Formats: sequence, structure tokens, C-alpha cells
Amino acid sequence: MKRNLFLKILFSYLVIISVSFFVLHLLVKDRISGILTAGIEQELMHYAELVDLNDPQTMSAHLQQISKISKSRVTLVDGRGVVFADSEKAIDGLENHLFRPEIQEARLRGTGKSVRYSSTLGVNMLYVAVVIKNGSKISGYVRLARPLHDVQGAVEQVYQSIFLAMLIGALASLAIALFFSHRLAAPIRTMEEFTQRLRKGLPVGSIILRTSDETRTLADDINYLVEELKDKIRLAQEEKSKLMTALTSINEGVVILNNDERIEFLSPSLAGILSGSYEDFLGKSLLEAFRNAELQKTLERFKQQGKSVSHEIRLGDADSTIMSVSLSEVQGLPEEEKIMIVFHDVTRLKKLERIRTDFVANVTHEIRTPLTAVIGYLETLQAGALENPEDAKRFTDIMLKQAQRLNRLVEDLLTLSRIELGEVVFRFEDISLPEATDSVISLLDAKAAAKAITIQNRLPQNLRPIKADRDRLSQVLVNVLDNAVKFTPNGGRITVEAEERADGLVLKISDTGVGIPGEEIQRLGERFYRVDKTRSRELGGTGLGLSIVKHLMIAHGGRMEIESQPGRGTTVFLYFPLNRPAQDIT
Amino acid sequence: MEEKRHTSLHYEKELQAIKDGLIYLGVLTEAAIGKAMKSLSGRDTELAYQVVREDDEIDRLDTDLEERCIKILALRQPTAIDLRFITTAIKITGHLERIGDMAVNIAEKVMLLNEEPQLKPYIDLPRMSELVGVMIRDSLDSFINSDLDKAEQVRRREQVIDDLNEQIFRELLTFMMEDSKNIHRALLVMQISKNMERIADHAKGIADMVTYMVTGTCVRHQSCGMTT
Repeated sequence: MKRNLFLKILFSYLVIISVSFFVLHLLVKDRISGILTAGIEQELMHYAELVDLNDPQTMSAHLQQISKISKSRVTLVDGRGVVFADSEKAIDGLENHLFRPEIQEARLRGTGKSVRYSSTLGVNMLYVAVVIKNGSKISGYVRLARPLHDVQGAVEQVYQSIFLAMLIGALASLAIALFFSHRLAAPIRTMEEFTQRLRKGLPVGSIILRTSDETRTLADDINYLVEELKDKIRLAQEEKSKLMTALTSINEGVVILNNDERIEFLSPSLAGILSGSYEDFLGKSLLEAFRNAELQKTLERFKQQGKSVSHEIRLGDADSTIMSVSLSEVQGLPEEEKIMIVFHDVTRLKKLERIRTDFVANVTHEIRTPLTAVIGYLETLQAGALENPEDAKRFTDIMLKQAQRLNRLVEDLLTLSRIELGEVVFRFEDISLPEATDSVISLLDAKAAAKAITIQNRLPQNLRPIKADRDRLSQVLVNVLDNAVKFTPNGGRITVEAEERADGLVLKISDTGVGIPGEEIQRLGERFYRVDKTRSRELGGTGLGLSIVKHLMIAHGGRMEIESQPGRGTTVFLYFPLNRPAQDIT
Repeated sequence: MEEKRHTSLHYEKELQAIKDGLIYLGVLTEAAIGKAMKSLSGRDTELAYQVVREDDEIDRLDTDLEERCIKILALRQPTAIDLRFITTAIKITGHLERIGDMAVNIAEKVMLLNEEPQLKPYIDLPRMSELVGVMIRDSLDSFINSDLDKAEQVRRREQVIDDLNEQIFRELLTFMMEDSKNIHRALLVMQISKNMERIADHAKGIADMVTYMVTGTCVRHQSCGMTT
């Protein structure tokens, strides 16, 4: 770059120098020799005038003198052209000089001259001739000839000076070219380096130049553009990071497909569901990443219809997650057709929906069963069974039992909804768990004894008291222990233990009962959820017991957890927090 | 194979479409097995019918893929790795189609089983179906990514499936010896297990084809020395 510039400048200087030299040559060469020749001519003319032809005796000496003074050869020619005297050569061998150009010119004009190359001397000769008149008749000519050594020498000298000047000029231009190329190239070089760094994405500041010419303006423009560019990049990055933060922090999973339907973006939450890391899925097709035919079909449908499409699909292990997916085109990209897929997790929603419908179905079923029995027996009584006191007694007994069951059900439902609505007033006080457990066990003693079940209270007497509502706590314990008794076969064992932890106290109630299959445990807190539907009802349960326990524990700031192994037994964990606020809550 | 680009973008897209089609076929067959299993454990006859109905799509996709492969063979005349890719793809669609048929077989047995009370709780069969699903997925993954390690994993798992099948066979034998009334149901369950085992064989077949595709050496049979 720099070298190039230098050569360019140097070359242009050299061209200028050569052209001017050429012009000078054209103008000067002829003129100098012309001027000098004219001077010599004049001089010779004077000398010619001086030639005195009057004294033939001294003629030879006179000619020699003139020749010496004028530094030229003097020849005397008579009117017919015959040489009759010469200062240098013998006249005998000389030819007729009449038709020499200078003589001819002198014959016509009085004086004549000519420049000819003399082969004998190897130099240009100037011949000057003056006519000698005798009255009006031409009697002869005086011719002076001088070699033009001086003129040639002078011209050569001038040329030498010109060459010298040119050489100096060339050297000067070399220096100037170097200087200017450096001066010019330096800022350009700076800018070049700057833009190179910019292109490589290295951090750049701004260009500072100490010049004040066009390069400065250019540098300023570049600086401005770079600032502008930086601003734009920063803005774009900011937008991108905002968007990414938004996309990663929202619960909804987001996938963006590029033109070729490859995954360009996948939110981390989805990567978790697909049990892989974010990078694993980039560049893969939707099918490859999700392995879901439904999703693929939805994508196909979207491509056919060309407008936003929503669909519900199941994902994850054993289709555990229900996702509502909606596909739409990414707007504002005229060149590309990107597709955005939003996954909305509706698993919980679906579960709640199912619980609600189950609840309605269950509650009607639970209420209708005793009612049907009561109505059935009433009809039988009306139809005539009243007449038979024995049957009537039996029927009314059954009716009472069913009505009581109905009552219990309504009671439980009421309790539950009151706890949930927060209408139950809790009076928290310090309660000793061992005592509370003992009193509950004594309530269930008879029932347990009937099945030969032993209930062991292994709570240490010095157990830290907990903050709880006495009545509600016994309700929790009754429900859990009653369940344990119900589902433990004859001769089984129920153990109540406790464990103190940093953040609270855990009450463990384990039995050696039938146990609960793993997938059912999660649903135990739901209303009317029964693991073994027929058996539970036979045992007189309403299907609300654990639901009540669960809600009461929540009201106490704790929680209930169940672990179970089918055939081995079940353990209910009741977590009581230590720092329960002392005031009553409603 | 991923990095290499063909001069013809269209050709590249055609090959990609074959890959996508195979994954789709794989997903469908995997889902078919899953549904067949679910219809068994959940005693859901309707779901079993669905499996049978949906096999039509698998068959359709199979012929469609095969046709496209043949078209590429005829029009593009692929060489080297592409040729092996296409021939492997044709074989794999065959395997997948057979897997789909076996899912249908299972579903049909389930329909019969669901007419009678459950013989026993199914423990090993769901495990088998899960493993088989993973095998199909892995075998296709190994195909897509030319991943020999995954292909090797599939081959190893096939042994596990064989063992499970053995175990189920012995267990059912005791049921049959106990009570001759159990024989019908036990036989049906055994056929389901056998079908699972054969699905695993097909998955292994796919893995073997992948090894052939990547290395050019045949691992299907001890005796074969086919190299390309």
C-alpha cells in the first residue's frame, strides 16, 4: 500500500521531469546554437570587412593575420569562383568555389553564409562570404570559415547543466515522493489497521489522526460509523439478551425452527423435559428432538394451513406431561420462514380438571348409594313390610346405618370445605405429642384389639411440644391411625415414632398393612380417592379421611407424605414445623 | 456424513427427507409398541384397536420411503457412503415395518386377553417394552448420526431382552402347570413376549446395518465377510 503510493508519486514526478526536459530540448537546442552561430557569423562578417585586397604583396601575411585574429580560414575567391588566396591550404588543388551556397548567396545579396559538415575536420563549419565590389562589378569574394567547436561545446555544456538539474530534480522528487507517500500513507495505514481489527471483531477505540486534510474527514466518518455500528450491535445484543431472558425464564417452553425446519432455539425448560442439554437439540429436526408423531402432525398441519395452530400433545416419560402447543410464524422476517412453537404445560390444569370431574362423579355416587338403600327399604316398608315387625326392625336398622353414613359423609365434606375456605378457627397451643397420641390410641384400642393389632407408641416422653390445635390434631391422628387399623390385616402391628429435625418434627406412623401401589400414592390426598374401591367402602370409609388430614396439615404449616411398599406396609409422615406463629389463624 | 455437502442442494434435501422419514417411521412404531403395551396393562381394548388401525400409516410410510429411496438410486446413482446410506435406509424401513406388524400382533393378543380376567400383574413385560422402545430409538439415532457406539449399545441390550423373554417363559410355565385353565392366557402372554423379543431382534438388525453403513463391514453373521 505504502510502496504503491510511493511508486505512484515518484513515477508522476519523473514523468513531469522527463516531459519538461524534452520540451526544453526542443525549445533550447536550436535556439542556443542559432544564437551562438549568429554571433560568430557577425564576428566573421566584421573580419571579412577587414580584409584589405589592395596590397597583393602583403596579401599572404595579411590573410594569415586576419585568420589568426578571427580564428578562421580565410579564402579569397575571384569573380569566377577561382580561389586565388587561402590562409591554410595551397590554392592549386582547390576547385571552383562559385557554386558554394555562401558564395552564391553573397553574389545575390552581398553577404552569404552556410553551415556544413566538414568531413575533414569532423565538425560543423560556418562559412561566411562577403562580396568584393569594384565599382558595380563583382571582382571577388572573401570567405571565412570557422569550425563550430565553440557552439557545440556551449550546447554540450548547457545540456550538461540541464542533465544535472534533472538529476537533482529526480533526486528531489524521490525524496519528496518518499516523504509524501509516507505522510499520506500513515493515516491511511492507521485507518486500514483499524478497519481490519473491526472486521476481525477485536475491540477498537476510535481513530485519532494529527492531520487536517481529507484523511481526517474520512477518519472522522469511520469513527462515526463505528460508533453507530457499535450502538446498533449493542442494541441488538440487548434486545437478544432481553428476549432470551424472557424466553428462558417463562414457564412456557419455546422452540424456534429455521427455514430448513431445524431447531434454532430451544428453551432450557424443554431441554429438561426431553432429558438432554440445550446444545444437543440445536440443528436437529423437531421429530429428531421430540420423537413425537403428534407434534410432527401438528407441524404438518400448520404448514398446510399457513396459519397459527394449537394442539395438545403428551411428552416425557410415560407421557407424563401434557403440553398445549401452538405454532405460529415468526413475524417480520421477509427472507426467512421461521416457525415458533410455544409449549404450555397444562398437566396441572388437566389434573385439576380431572379431580373436579372425579369429585362431582364421586360425591353423587357416594350420596346416592346410601340414599338408594334408604329409599329402597322405605318402599319395601310401605309395600307391607311394616306389618312384619321383625323385618321392619331390621330394615329401619339398615336405614339408620345408611343415614348415619350419609351424615358422616356430609360432616366430612363440610369439614373439608370449611378448612379449605379458612372458616375453621384454629387455636394453637403447646401440645405434647406423646399424650395426644396416647389418647387417640385409647379411642382406637377396641377396634385394634378386635383385629389383634398392636399399636405401639414409641414417642419419647420428653419430646418437644408442638404448636397445634388440640381438636384438629386428634382428628389428624384419628384419621391416620384409623386408616392404619383398617388396612392392616389381623395380627399386624402399628408403630408411632417421631424424629426431631432442625426445622421441625416428623411423626411417623407405620403399619404392616396391604400397602399402596406406587402410582396411587400421589392421588391419595384427593377427595374420594380410594385405592381399593370396594374394600374401602366396606370398611366404612367416606373416602375423605386423608383429604382432611392433608388439608389440616397444610393449615398447621406442615405437610403429609406417604411411603409404601405393596404387601409390606405403609408409613405416613406428618411434618410439623417448629416455628409456628403463636397467634390463632382462621 | 453430516459435514459433507453435495453440490446439488436438491439431492442433499432428498437424503435429508429420507432421514426425517425414517425417524418419523421410528417414532410411529415406537408409539405403536407403547400403545400396545398400555392397552395390555390398562386392559384398554379400544387402544389395542387403535394400534391395529394406525398400522396402515406405518405401511404407507414404509412403501413411500422405499419408493423414494429407489428413485434416488435410479436418478442420482449414488456412490460410496451415499449408496450404503440408501441401501441401508431401504433395509431399515423393512425392519421398521415388521416392527409395526409385531405391535399389531401384540395388540391382537391383548384384545383376546382383555376378554378374560387378568392372569397376573405384568412386571417384566412393561420393562421389556420400555427397553425395546429405547432400542428402536437408539438404533435410529445411531443411523442418523452414524454413531457406532449407540449401535453397539443396541446390540448389547438385545441380550437383556432375550433374558427377559426366557424369564417370562419360565414364569408362565409355572402358571400353566398350576392350572390348565391358565394355559390359553399364558400362551397369549408368551406370544406377546416373543413378539417383543423379535422386535428387539429387528432393532439389532438396524444397528448391524448401521455398522455396515459406517464401516462397510458386515457384522450380521459370523460367517459373512462382505465388504464394500
